[in-house]
Formats: sequence, C-alpha cells, structure tokens
Amino acid sequence: MLELKNLRFEAPAGDAGKDAPPLRMIINDISFTFEAGGFYAITGPNGSGKTTIAKLIMGINELTAGKIIFDGQDISQMTINERSRAGIVYGFQNPARFKGTTFRDLLSIAAGTDDENKLVKIIARVGICSLDFLDKPVDSKLSGGEIKKIELATVIARNPRVAIYDEPDTGIDLWTIGPMVELLKKEQKEHNTTTIVVSHNKAFLEVADTLLLLKDGRIAYSGNLEGAMPMLEDLSLCTFSDVCEGEGNVRCYR
Amino acid sequence: MLDAIDKTVLKEVADLEGLPKGAYNIRKNGQLLGREVSANINIEANEKGDGIVVDIKPGTVDESVHIPVILSQAGLHDVVYNTFIIGENADVTIVAGCGIHCGSDESEGHSGIHEFRIKSGARVKYVEKHVAIGEGTGKRTLNPTTKVFMEENASAEMELTQLGGVDEAKRYNEAKIGAGSVLLITERVMTEGEQKADSKNEIELSGTGSKANIVSRSVLKGDSRQDFYVNLTARAKCYGHIECDAIIMDNGNNQTIPALRALHPDAELTHEASIGKIANDQLMKLMSLGLAYDEAVNKIIQGFLK
Ligand SMILES: Nc1ncnc2c1ncn2[C@@H]1O[C@H](COP(=O)(O)OP(=O)(O)OP(=O)(O)O)[C@@H](O)[C@H]1O
Ligand SMILES: [Mg+2]
Repeated sequence: MLELKNLRFEAPAGDAGKDAPPLRMIINDISFTFEAGGFYAITGPNGSGKTTIAKLIMGINELTAGKIIFDGQDISQMTINERSRAGIVYGFQNPARFKGTTFRDLLSIAAGTDDENKLVKIIARVGICSLDFLDKPVDSKLSGGEIKKIELATVIARNPRVAIYDEPDTGIDLWTIGPMVELLKKEQKEHNTTTIVVSHNKAFLEVADTLLLLKDGRIAYSGNLEGAMPMLEDLSLCTFSDVCEGEGNVRCYR
Repeated sequence: MLDAIDKTVLKEVADLEGLPKGAYNIRKNGQLLGREVSANINIEANEKGDGIVVDIKPGTVDESVHIPVILSQAGLHDVVYNTFIIGENADVTIVAGCGIHCGSDESEGHSGIHEFRIKSGARVKYVEKHVAIGEGTGKRTLNPTTKVFMEENASAEMELTQLGGVDEAKRYNEAKIGAGSVLLITERVMTEGEQKADSKNEIELSGTGSKANIVSRSVLKGDSRQDFYVNLTARAKCYGHIECDAIIMDNGNNQTIPALRALHPDAELTHEASIGKIANDQLMKLMSLGLAYDEAVNKIIQGFLK
C-alpha cells in the first residue's frame, strides 16, 4: 500500500573536517512496503534516521533518490499538503509552537470543520486530551506532554489512511501511555488505519505487527519483536560505538 | 441618519450593525452625528470644545460606551481630545475606533487623544480599532494617543488594533500605574505596501504591587515599515513584562526597541522580542494537515493577530 523504493537522503555533513565529503548519507537505500491496516513500530538508536524516513514519507524532506508509491501512485513529487489530502499524516516529534493559534484552530483545520459538536466528538474519540485544551494557544507555554497530546489529536482528526506518529509518548505521563497505545490500536482496528509509530517504548513495540529496526540509515531488521530481541539486546547498537571504537583495533565487548 | 458608507465604517471599527445600545457618541467629519447618554454614563463637550468628556459614575457595572469616529470627507484632518473618567469600582467597556473612508486623491486623517482617569477599584476594557477603506488614493493618516492614569487596585485592558489600509500611523501610549493596579496593552498592527506605522510607549509602574504587560504583534507585508518602542519604568516593587513579535512577510522593515528601567530594587521586569519570517515548522505542520502554502500562511497570520 505504501512502498518505499531505494530511498536515499543526503544532507550537508556540517562540521565534518575538510577531507570529509560535503554530503552525508542519512537514509541509505531503504526499501520497504507497509501493508494496508498494519501496525508498524520503527525503533533504532538516536540519529539512525527514523524521523528522516517519516519526513520523507510526508514530503517534508526531499528525496535524494528513490521513489515512494502510495496505492500504486508515485507520490515522490507531491507537496506536503497533496500527500496529506491523499491520506498520509505525520505527527511531529517536536511539534511546532505557534503564537495565538489555538488547539481549536488546528483541530478545525485537520477536521475540515469548525462545528463545535464535531470537534467535541473528536476530543472524546481521542480521549487523552481534555476539553479545556480547546481554546488554549498552542504556544511555548504548553508542557511537553500537553503539546504531544494535541499533536496526536490533530493527526487522528484527519482520519488518515496512513498515520505516522513520531515518538508520541515523549513527555507523556505513566497514566496516559497505556490509553495512548490502546487508542492507536483502536484507530487501526476501527478505521483500518495503517499505523506507523516511531518509538523506543516497549509498550508500542509489543503491540506492533511488524518492527523495523533502523541503524545508520538502513533497515537492520524487520519482522516480529521476538526475532528482534537478540539485536535489541546486542550492544552493537550502542550509540557510543563511534566514540569508543574509533581508534586502532579497539572494540566494544560490553 | 447613517448612510451606507457610515454603516460599513461602523461595522469595521466597532462591529456595529447600526446604532449601538447604551451610551454612545458618533463623530463624523468633525461634527457630532449622534449621542446617547445613560443614567450612569454622561457624555458632554469639554470646555475647550475640542472633544468630549465621558463621565462614568462610580459603581457602574456591565455597561458600555461606543465612541466611533467616521471620516469620509476629502482633505479633512480631524483632531480631538477626549477624556474618560471611570469612577471608583466601575466595570465598563469602551469601544472606540476610527474608520476612514477615502474616496478621492486628497489626504484624510484623524488625530485623537484619549485620556483615561481610572479611579480606585475600577475596571475598564478599551477596544480601539483603526481602519481605512475606500478606492481613493489620498493618504490616510491616523495618529492616536492614549494617556492612562490609574489610581489604586484598578485594572485596564486595552486592545489596540490597526489592520491595513492606514498609510501612516504614529501612535503614542503613556501610562502611569498606581499601587495594586494592572495594565494590559495588546497592540496588533498589520501594514502593507508602502505603509508606515510607528508606536511609542512610555509606561510607568509607580505604585507598589502594580503590574504591566505590554504585548505587540506586528505583521509587515510588501515594503511596509513598523517601529515599536517601549520604555517600561519601575519606581516601586512591581512586575512588568514586554512581549513583541514581528513577522516580516515580504520586504518589510522592522525595528523593535523594548527598554526596561528599574528604579527600585524590588522591581521585576522582563522582555521577549522576536522579528522574523513565519516559522517553517508552523508552515509544515499546517501543510501536513492539508493546507496549501498560502492558506497556511494566512492561518498563521490570522492566529497571530487574533
Ligand atoms: N536536514 C538535515 N540536514 C543535516 N542533517 C540532518 C538533517 N536531518 C537529519 N539530519 C541528521 O540525520 C541523522 C538522523 O536524524 P533523525 O532525526 O532522522 O534521527 P532519529 O532516528 O529520528 O533520532 P532520534 O531518536 O534522536 O529522534 C542525525 O544525525 C541528524 O543530525
Ligand atoms: Mg527522531
């Protein structure tokens, strides 16, 4: 249903030395097919490219090479809003903070209506956002958890066919994680939403049908959680390997 | 009594569909067009004859006064001095505003000075909107001045809005805030084309426990220019905050100069200021919710100026 074909994304390497190549490969030849109605979890070390993949699918980052096929149609050249209208929605890892724009404004845009009853219904469906949030400005005064709940609600309000949540549990309290997992499961079941959750949280990894493990811009593993366990426990995924294995023949034996 | 232009202008500046309820004073092209007083709110010409005195009795609650000004006469430059006396423990809303309808190539303008004497315990909400419409090419200028004197434990919320059409605006706000009183000013200005808007604010926190929050939101389109100055001076144990944000859409030019002066060791003063284009992450978010680029820009500006 959503097919990634040999995706590559390069970006300026930044502070690399003068002998280093000016571009760094951040997503390195990723191919994968997400099936309709599936529940996928993407995990992997910090900096492995999880957010970048999500942004490539949404059209926020421009592909260096490769193709994205959605329902048989090549969407690689489509703008963000065209992809959104086609049914793909991304919930940001670091949601934008506005000045003046309220949760009601965002929800109305997402739902395509400002009808009070409909907005209240959406909030009830989402469950984890209080109704009092409705007229709160989505600005820097919101707490980390509050803005993530709002972000998640705006994704659901669009009734997406493919929903990508980027670490939806960041800053979320212990009492809300369970209900949040349940909510995404329920959305997947009731609306056949293809659900992709980027997370480090076991709660999400456990409910996913398929787990993708990313490392250095490649898919290191895809399959069920059980099969991933040896790799998840393997310290070769240690993000400090660059630092401690850098010189000579030093290896990490932790 | 009201013609079609008057009605359009009244709708724009005071959100009125006709004559307002309660006390009002409508001025058109330098003349009195209509006035209504109430049992608690008196309006009469001042001694000098260059404006009105709106006198609100102590304890008046939940009443409003509308004092819109309509300018539609080519070449006219109207100047007024209005005084508002808000009696002790009153709680009222004052809606002012000036609408220019310019139909020719001659300039039109209005310079209004509004002086507020807010007595102890009184609360006032002041809403002022400035607009200029019409096909004429004449220059439209608006130079509003507000002077606010607050006694003790009073509160004033002032919303000052100018959204387009005005070629040149020079605003001056002055306030002296007594003990326990709270002043909140929100200024929203949108300029376009070659327009210029200038706002100078001298705010003094003079009594113990006084508070001020000055918020400025500017949007600059085209080649327009806006300058915003605030001097916030503290002479007592008090709290003051300035927040100014400007969004530059095209080739606008903005200066924002917030200044804090603490002349008392227990003063707490803060400011935040930003100037820049619309933040990219805001645009991306709205586009990911289905809005095209231009629609996203409009929504963000609308929210910002709301
Ligand atoms: N536009 C860009 N320009 C340059 N470097 C980028 C860009 N986008 C991402 N990167 C780099 O690519 C790498 C992968 O980033 P990405 O945000 O995808 O990681 P992630 O797997 O989501 O990490 P985390 O778990 O910390 O969220 C990082 O090293 C990041 O600095
Ligand atoms: Mg990430």
